[in-house]
Amino acid sequence: MKKTCLFLFLTLFFCTLFIFSHGVDAKVYVDIDSPNFQQIPIAICDFYNKTASATKSENVGAIISDGIKKDLSLTGIFNILNNKSFLESNPSDAKESIRFSDWALIGADFLLQGIITQNDKGIAADGRLFDVARGETLFHKKYFSGIKDIKILSRKIASDILLTLTNDEGDFNTKITFVSKKGSKSDLYVINYDGSELKNVTNHQSILIAPRWSPDGNLIAFTSFKDGHPAVYIRNFKNGSEKKVASFDGLNMCGAFSPDNKKLLLTLSKDGNEEIYTLEIGNLKLKRLTNNYSIDVSPVWSPDGEKIAFVSNRAGSPQIYIMDSDGNNVRRITFEGKYNTSPAWSPRGGYIAYEGLVNDKYQIFSIDEEGNRIFQLTSDASNKESPSWSPSGRQIVYVSRKSSKSKICIMNSNGSNPRVLIENINKLVMPAWSPRLK
Amino acid sequence: MKKNLTFTGILIVLIISLTIFSGCSEKKSIVKSDETKVQETVSAPAPAPAETTETATQENVSQPTETEIANEQSSLMEATAKSPISDIYFDFDSYSIHPDSREILKVNADYLLKHKVSSVVVEGHCDERGTAEYNMALGQRRAQETKKYLVNLGVNESIIKTISYGEERPLDPDNNEEAWAKNRRAHFVVNP
Repeated sequence: MKKTCLFLFLTLFFCTLFIFSHGVDAKVYVDIDSPNFQQIPIAICDFYNKTASATKSENVGAIISDGIKKDLSLTGIFNILNNKSFLESNPSDAKESIRFSDWALIGADFLLQGIITQNDKGIAADGRLFDVARGETLFHKKYFSGIKDIKILSRKIASDILLTLTNDEGDFNTKITFVSKKGSKSDLYVINYDGSELKNVTNHQSILIAPRWSPDGNLIAFTSFKDGHPAVYIRNFKNGSEKKVASFDGLNMCGAFSPDNKKLLLTLSKDGNEEIYTLEIGNLKLKRLTNNYSIDVSPVWSPDGEKIAFVSNRAGSPQIYIMDSDGNNVRRITFEGKYNTSPAWSPRGGYIAYEGLVNDKYQIFSIDEEGNRIFQLTSDASNKESPSWSPSGRQIVYVSRKSSKSKICIMNSNGSNPRVLIENINKLVMPAWSPRLK
Repeated sequence: MKKNLTFTGILIVLIISLTIFSGCSEKKSIVKSDETKVQETVSAPAPAPAETTETATQENVSQPTETEIANEQSSLMEATAKSPISDIYFDFDSYSIHPDSREILKVNADYLLKHKVSSVVVEGHCDERGTAEYNMALGQRRAQETKKYLVNLGVNESIIKTISYGEERPLDPDNNEEAWAKNRRAHFVVNP
């Protein structure tokens, strides 16, 4: 009897353990959230062009693989091996003839090979991704595109690689808006995440601050002084129409859109001091959320819409606070340093990025929602400001400012791999990363 | 007796499993107490060096010339000089009125009371340090606190308007304490 009982309990206990340890999604090949994460070493072969020489255009295979390499390197999580280190180059038709040991020898964890055929209509590509250590095929897919759309074809393959290895869609097809200041005049600009296609958005020639994307990617809200005083505008990104939605006495400052695109957070001073409100975009109905004689500013929603993070100086210095979305249950989450502002909630939840003053410089930090763990993400001698997460939550765009010069930079969300997205003679500030665009 | 032994067995298993489970959850290292919050700052695993030099293609969109900027700056200076009442200055991240600013505000209020003034706009300004959004709010608060002080000195509330320019209209564009001190100000635009 005694033995049976013990045996039963032990069995149950180990079953539970087993279930817990195997709860991880088995589809993910590389855990890029692990603190020990190292860039994924991958070999991308030039696609082999099987077309008969008469119709064959030069280098298409290399152009496709270069596009894939560029897209993958933008994610910040791949170590793309140099083709010169490859021991074999032309892809074999059959998996059996690939010598995986050769690829392991040069340090590749994964291998992409492809074959293309061309005709008048375009290109057919046949791409295969392999796990080198196991000698397994991870995917084998066919892609088609017009000869002019090679970039799209490359991007599709790069997306498939990222999705297969990390179970994440990545940040392909996203844009970043920012404010460009020339002298005293500011306007909104937009650039693709890969640094291409810089475009002017507004022509207010005025003060423009706090641009925010709607989660569906259709609208951009901001504060502009184009009529001589600050007012909040919502701009249709596609047709360029602008609607003034808040123009009260005093300050009218734009906060973030709600996850359902229906509400906009604002900071208004119309009731005597700076308070946070929600504005229903459909009927312009206002609801006040904060009630405190202090500065309450820069509100952002949590991805689930349940909570709002904001900046308040109610304890004497600007700090990050969180409240429920109805304004109740306000709690402070930053306690280190005298100046913590610009909260940005990770789209995956859990963490809030912000800028904080340390050793007389502003740096980017991230903190968990409970305020228990802080990570300092930047540290060099320039000031870092205005963090904004990419839709995947894997990257952060921010401003790097040194004396009068300021440029837009991107880093991985753990602070690694910082790089310049755009810089020019103007002061570039307040970047906002778009959602995934269609 | 047998029952007792079974009980002890169950208890032992429970205790062991509890220990193991709580051992697992320790990984999250949550430090929490009501009075003092402990925040451990963890530096980024690989704080790579300064930014790389790779830059996006630059279409430089009509740049303002140096003289344009200089002209703007001097017109700002002139506007400040022309105003019949003087600016007041603030400490970093503060909107409280300095003792010496109180004297200036008395003189300003006196001017507004003795002259025919249709309106006065109090502009709140900040230095470039810190966050543009927070500074916009801080500038608003500086303007409002200044307005309140003037009202207490007898100036008609209805003629005073407030506007914040945050850090967007510095009087001195330099990046040093001297310039910053000049930029943290409330400025008055008097409309006769």
